[in-house]
Amino acid sequence: MSKQEIGSFLAKQGILIAFAVFMIGFTLANSRFLDPDNVMGVIRSSAILGVMALGVTFVVISGNLDLSVGSMMSFSTIVVLDLHDKIGPALAIPAMFAMTLCLGAFIGFLVGYLKLNSLIVTLGMLSAIHGLTLTYSGGQNMDIADKEGTWFSVFGQGDALGIPVPILIFLGLAAFLGIMLSKTPFGRKVYAVGGNGTAATFSGIRRARVVFMCYLMSSFCVATAGLIQASRSLGSQNTVGQGLELEVLAAIILGGASLLGGSGTIFKTVIGVLILGFIQNGLLLVGLQFYVQYVVTWVIIILAVWLDIAAKRGRLWSPIA
Amino acid sequence: MTLRTTLAATTAIATLSFGGAAIAAEHSETMKIGITQNNVGVDSYQTTYEKAFIAAAEANDKIETVVLDAGGDVARQIAQMEDLIQQEVDAIIIWPTNGEAVIPAVRKAFQADIPVIVTNSNIAEAGFDFVASFSGPDNITQGARSAEIMCDKFMDMGIENEAQVVHITGQPGYTTAIERAKGFEDRLPEVCPNVTVVDTQPGDWNREKSQKVMEAFLVKYDDIDGVYAGDDNMGVGALNAAKAAGREGIIFVGATNFAVGYEAMERGEYWGSIYQSPVDDAEAALQTAIDVLNGEEVPFLNYFDTPKITQDNMGDYTKPVF
Repeated sequence: MSKQEIGSFLAKQGILIAFAVFMIGFTLANSRFLDPDNVMGVIRSSAILGVMALGVTFVVISGNLDLSVGSMMSFSTIVVLDLHDKIGPALAIPAMFAMTLCLGAFIGFLVGYLKLNSLIVTLGMLSAIHGLTLTYSGGQNMDIADKEGTWFSVFGQGDALGIPVPILIFLGLAAFLGIMLSKTPFGRKVYAVGGNGTAATFSGIRRARVVFMCYLMSSFCVATAGLIQASRSLGSQNTVGQGLELEVLAAIILGGASLLGGSGTIFKTVIGVLILGFIQNGLLLVGLQFYVQYVVTWVIIILAVWLDIAAKRGRLWSPIA
Repeated sequence: MTLRTTLAATTAIATLSFGGAAIAAEHSETMKIGITQNNVGVDSYQTTYEKAFIAAAEANDKIETVVLDAGGDVARQIAQMEDLIQQEVDAIIIWPTNGEAVIPAVRKAFQADIPVIVTNSNIAEAGFDFVASFSGPDNITQGARSAEIMCDKFMDMGIENEAQVVHITGQPGYTTAIERAKGFEDRLPEVCPNVTVVDTQPGDWNREKSQKVMEAFLVKYDDIDGVYAGDDNMGVGALNAAKAAGREGIIFVGATNFAVGYEAMERGEYWGSIYQSPVDDAEAALQTAIDVLNGEEVPFLNYFDTPKITQDNMGDYTKPVF
């Protein structure tokens, strides 16, 4: 490999290098960090955040934001748990997906067709959907009555081929959406709309429809995350997804997507999600106090972003201001 | 002005906590009690509390209530306090959204001679002078009782000299979380001096977060004998992690017995908790307000009892509704 090739490899994979650096650091700090059980455990518990981040990646690349996904995930979780005991899991799951997709379609309509600012729409939906969830549940925790006798637990607790089902769902969905984003005409339209919306419109792309589809995709991912969450604990508080919208955005930005739209990939989002998950787990294993963890998490995120940018420009700092 | 009301007015100005006596004399027929709650609907405890409060008030025809909810918003709660003062209610019950920020509003009520009863979680000490009474659970005792439950169980098992415990606390900064943790950590070495708490991390009152924390603990420590969680929601999250990892024989003790905790106890997976009923909490707050208005002597810290519940005695308690 020539020097130039190494340089271009670094530039493309800066975030992977940052990831490797942290993994080595945490392994040195605690030998159990790379224990297969631990690694599986981290990926499994990152799966919920990860599945949500996949959908939001579409929204971000199309040049919009989605701050409603945390509330929406609480909604899906509560709805599917409630319906589980009322109409049985086989009907509860499609019913929950349908309801969540309606929310996504509504947001997509407001942002796509009415051209309202996505930040304002989804920030509003953050509290509106939370209110909806509380109204639906009457503020009560939702629990499945018969926890032992339901096959519903398979999505969150099951194993297939020795791999936890949440991981399979996460990686399967990532592969599917990754191909959709990079190899299909729809995927290219998403980039086009986010990169330069006006140019996209003049190229004959129906911008409103693309944005609408991105939000629909996002709500589909949220419903899937809610399903895993509900199945994992078979019971839930109303606030289960609270704050996740920011973690989702952190993972996507960490992966290197631009909040201005037009760039980012599913693969990089997956790496961003894993970095966040392993940081949280690594800090717990090292045994730092939680208030130190908050600070260290921030430092690590900044370091990762810096390493990524430094790799892209081939030097650690830019001489031009 | 009759002699009685003159006397009453003087008493009201002169005394702090017994100002209520004067008001009771003036309003001997019906008492109008206002309540501003923290955030009804956000969890089952608060929802049940409100229902129980309204039910208890309706059962007593001498009481008229104004039931408000701050929705977790400090500014709204302060506005509600001002409304209640304007409406000249006889007493105000407040479930503080924030222990510091509500003090000026509590002071305003005090200056208007309206006795204030704080319910569930107390306001900061700087405001104590303006409060007639606090009614709620004693979190330090709850933590201490959880330590006793755990220690007793270790003694039964004969592992009181080597047991290792991990501790999952509530949200950092919350009085309830701080006090329960303190009660537990102070009491455990007294009853079981050789038990070690090997790690403490917050679970933020959140089942999923607590499950993640416990997963890390299970990787980090080969030998965990007991888990103390600041409430049952987190305790059940930790239990789920242990079950998924196939680790058995761990003693789980929580606080605020939730339905999920009660059910896990029925299945024999979860050892014990602290029984705290929102119905008792609501009724105690209303009764405290009535006592204050009737001029009875009420202790400043008016705790309602929150007993220990374990697999052994759970038959004496009904399953929590939240």
